[in-house]
Amino acid sequence: MNTEAAPVLELRDVRKSFGPIEILHGIDFALRAGEVHALIGENGAGKSTIMKILGGFIEPTSGEVLLDGRPAPYDSGAEAEAAGVVVIHQEFNLAPDLTVSENIWLGRELGRVFLDHRAMRAGTQALLDQLDSHVRPDARIRDLPVSDRQMVEIAKALARKARVLIMDEPSAVLTNREVEVLFRQIDRLRAQGVALLYTSHRLEEVTRLADRITVLRDGAVVRRAMRGELTEDGMATAMVGRDLQDIYPAKRHHAGELALEVRGFSVPPLVEDVSFTLKRGEVLGISGLVGSGRTELAEGLVGLRPASGDMRRGGVRVRIHSVREAAAHGMAYLTEDRKERGLLLDKTLRENLTLSTLPRFGAPFLSTEREEAALTRAIADFDIRAPRRDMRVGNLSGGNQQKLLLAKTLLSDPEIVIIDEPTRGIDVGTKSQIYAFIDALAAKGKSVIVISSDMPEILGLSDRVLVMRHGRLAGELAGERISETAVVRLVMGTAEEAAREPTHV
Amino acid sequence: MSDAALRPATGFRLPGLSALGPLLALILLVVLGAFLNDNFLSQGNVTNVLARSAFIGMIAVGMTFVITSGGLDLSVGSMAAFIAGVMILAMNALLPAMGVGVPLILVGMAIALGAGLLAGLGNGLLVTKAHIEPFIVTLGTMGIFRSLVTWLADGGTISLDFAVRQLYRPVYYSGLFGIAWPILVFALVAIAGQVAMRHTRFGRYCEAIGSNDKVALYSAVNVDRIRLLTYVLLGLLVGLATIMYVPRLGSASGSTGMLWELEAIAAVIIGGTALKGGYGRVWGTVVGVLILSLIDNILILADLVSPYLNGTIQGVIIVLAVVLQRRKTAA
Amino acid sequence: MERRTFLAGTATAALAAGFAAPAAAQAKKAVIGVSIPSATHGFMGGLNWHAQETIKRLKATYPNLDFVLATAGAVGKQVNDIEDMVATRNIDALVVLPFESEPLTSPVKAVKEAGKWVTVVDRGLAQPGIEDLYVAGDNTAFGRVSGEYFKANLKPGAKIVVLRGIPTTLDNERVDAFQKAIEGSGIEILDMQHGNWNRDKAFAVMQDYLSKHKKIDAVWAADDDMAIGVMEAISQAGRQKEMWIVGGAGMKEIIKRVMDKDPQVPVDVSYTPAQISTALEVTALRFVSDTPVYGRFIIGSTLITPENAAQFYFPNSPF
Repeated sequence: MNTEAAPVLELRDVRKSFGPIEILHGIDFALRAGEVHALIGENGAGKSTIMKILGGFIEPTSGEVLLDGRPAPYDSGAEAEAAGVVVIHQEFNLAPDLTVSENIWLGRELGRVFLDHRAMRAGTQALLDQLDSHVRPDARIRDLPVSDRQMVEIAKALARKARVLIMDEPSAVLTNREVEVLFRQIDRLRAQGVALLYTSHRLEEVTRLADRITVLRDGAVVRRAMRGELTEDGMATAMVGRDLQDIYPAKRHHAGELALEVRGFSVPPLVEDVSFTLKRGEVLGISGLVGSGRTELAEGLVGLRPASGDMRRGGVRVRIHSVREAAAHGMAYLTEDRKERGLLLDKTLRENLTLSTLPRFGAPFLSTEREEAALTRAIADFDIRAPRRDMRVGNLSGGNQQKLLLAKTLLSDPEIVIIDEPTRGIDVGTKSQIYAFIDALAAKGKSVIVISSDMPEILGLSDRVLVMRHGRLAGELAGERISETAVVRLVMGTAEEAAREPTHV
Repeated sequence: MSDAALRPATGFRLPGLSALGPLLALILLVVLGAFLNDNFLSQGNVTNVLARSAFIGMIAVGMTFVITSGGLDLSVGSMAAFIAGVMILAMNALLPAMGVGVPLILVGMAIALGAGLLAGLGNGLLVTKAHIEPFIVTLGTMGIFRSLVTWLADGGTISLDFAVRQLYRPVYYSGLFGIAWPILVFALVAIAGQVAMRHTRFGRYCEAIGSNDKVALYSAVNVDRIRLLTYVLLGLLVGLATIMYVPRLGSASGSTGMLWELEAIAAVIIGGTALKGGYGRVWGTVVGVLILSLIDNILILADLVSPYLNGTIQGVIIVLAVVLQRRKTAA
Repeated sequence: MERRTFLAGTATAALAAGFAAPAAAQAKKAVIGVSIPSATHGFMGGLNWHAQETIKRLKATYPNLDFVLATAGAVGKQVNDIEDMVATRNIDALVVLPFESEPLTSPVKAVKEAGKWVTVVDRGLAQPGIEDLYVAGDNTAFGRVSGEYFKANLKPGAKIVVLRGIPTTLDNERVDAFQKAIEGSGIEILDMQHGNWNRDKAFAVMQDYLSKHKKIDAVWAADDDMAIGVMEAISQAGRQKEMWIVGGAGMKEIIKRVMDKDPQVPVDVSYTPAQISTALEVTALRFVSDTPVYGRFIIGSTLITPENAAQFYFPNSPF
């Protein structure tokens, strides 16, 4: 790696203020051709703002943005793309009703009067082949899983002949296998001389990919390092600004009496014949690949999807057809999709917090005072950091949104809480807070089910682990037997004997 | 972030400037009207304008809930005509048996409310159970109600029996403490609507569903039932509006209630409710209705422009009222 | 009514096809297509009623005539109706009341060029000479007769208000003729706004007139539907004694009032929806006799007074 190579895209002493508050304090940052530069930091450290400035979406308050050493000739995202600077956003910038091919050529369609569909399809296919992607050019974006959409975004960037590619947490929504494909593409792009910016909360990815690392904290660069100079621990410490002990709470749960018993539970069309038990004071992890039926199982349990099978609460058979009925039986579900299913992004904190428990806040007339009091309590209990109390939830950082969603879910004081992906897209500091909340719940004798694609999280939190594969229970691990290898073998289906081992209680 | 920002707000807070946009437009119109014609603020004219606004007003209040929860109802104008037709025919038919009297009027009113409830229920069930787009459902029922009333009237006019009419007339033309009945009823509906939207679960759920129905579903809200209720509520209010409308002219025809749906929707949007749902403002709707009626009134009272251009002036004012409010929201 | 008869008509047609097929094969029936706007307001309602009554009567009288009636709520629909009649019903004649003149001119012309008989009712086509027969009311006379009544019955300096219909050529012809007729009479028109031939709209406009003008001697409502709305507004204001009203078209309720010598409605002006009957009957003559029926039939507008009202009164008509 030639560290002396001139930067392609560079920030010099960039400052950015929103109103009276300065959130970037003199950032120097450079992307070089053929190099992966990782930008890491907690939520709210200023990563997004830097990416937006690089991508031409916002202008710095002071300082310079230089492309090839000259002031960047763009002041909008579209102009930046034309100049070869492409941003892949976390919320993809794809038209869901158009096909893959139509998206890739959007705004630059081939053909004069009539569109040359054949040429565009062929071009798309070539790009997708280059990415080893099985996505069909004619598929509608709406019908694609998130990971494929990511591939389409990358293909689109390639089609635009990107010289600089800025990727905002591309791995957050991908499965392990898909992450591998992504890494191969990144390696390939690097070899082609593209300058890459990579952000992720998964520090092992940073170690694997980054040639250069910049750590941000509170809007300032606190550490710069070359490949191999910084351990993952070192990164985390630099990000948080203090030593991070184990972020997982010590396991000390003593499982109590039976809280939930599920037998022969099916959620068509995916989940079939799942049986398990859940005790009071226990954290039960559910692992498995994306698409293995974990979320479908959870949604079936709380009545969000039609399901069949036997379900007992305290020995009594219950039937649940709606979230409302689930709540009546002391069950609550926290969705993995907090932006589309969890929170009303254009409503305030208060309206979100109380939505699922509104009947408790007065009938026939709602008491705003009581709602406000509940919010005050939630802000304190869950350490929700909001600049203004009456702001829209969409403007909160991901971590604070997640804490609010947790507060909302727990407001009904459920006995059984199912948390789907508790820390997706959340910085390490907030993660450890959320783990503490989960631990506290179990300590109070509640039962918690944690569904997660994050292996350390499953291992660190769970008293017991269920592994799902192709809609069925592939196995169950408890106590000493919970190990990364054991879980992975079940997830991948390479441990047939292990799957049969634990018989159901 | 400061602690002060996180403390609950205390005391009364003024609505934001954007919310005041339509109100400013209304005040401007009133000032303009008073300036252009001395009779504008006379009790007679004020009563005329308010009473005329009452039908669209009550319907628009119901429409606010439908739109807030992400729906739409294009059938209300035809529905009003249909209910008026049914109500008049039923009263005429019952006349020989019941005679002219208050009971006959009360039965007529009950029929109007019942027909409204059923019509709203029909729209609501098609939207929630058959999962058809509200636009299509109500476009369909709009045509159905309109042609049914034309059929009932043989293409002509259905007229209430003269004697019954004389008895019923005061419901539109007289009032309490010098305030006409339609105005009183409209005021009550508006106040109840405002309270329901701001201070009850129903209103909150409407906003939540319009904002994101999946989130509402995941938050233990009975989405289908709330949606259904908004259409039923609207149907009932159309029935109520019809009860106040029939005594005015004592007749219904294929042209009754023509384009009321568009006026009601326009009033809702002018008032600051989001057309895509998620936010509803009932008092804004009332302001919107008054703006629409006042424009008409002032144009006739003032002779400002050729009558051919009345539509232009209306259009400009509607768009301006919305621009005013959107610009400030964006800032 | 129109729908009910339509269904009944289909049923009888089906029956006829079943039982009378041999007879029909022997004597070729003449088919007359009738295309009119649907009954969206009182006048059109009356016109629809007269059309259906006349068709019923003509069918009974002349077994070798058949009719196809289509009503349209919009211009495009009417064009489609006419094309369908030619394509699928093989009509021999078309009686059409054009929704609008311009857009229907070429479709009707195409029918004519296909060798069919064409009768145009009430609204002329944009191009002269297409139709074989033209039957219409007289809008100029309608305005003139009304104006003459105002001139004869008001003193110079009298103040009146006018309600106009939907802005159209037809409305302009009436209003121009009215204004011309009162020229030199010293009558002052205080206000002229559109009531769109609609009761509710006319009610609101009249309310505003009454707020605005302290003294009104007479109202030209120009349409009986609007006259009803106007009367309500006047009685709400308690100013019935102050002014009289002239409507127009000959709605049965208004004719009744004229017959009963209601001082508020001294006269009415005819513009009869029964003109469709004239058109149908004359067209039928073309197929059942050798009577020459080419030309233009203009049905004059007459002043309906208590003396002659009885002959304009159709208590069974919905209008």
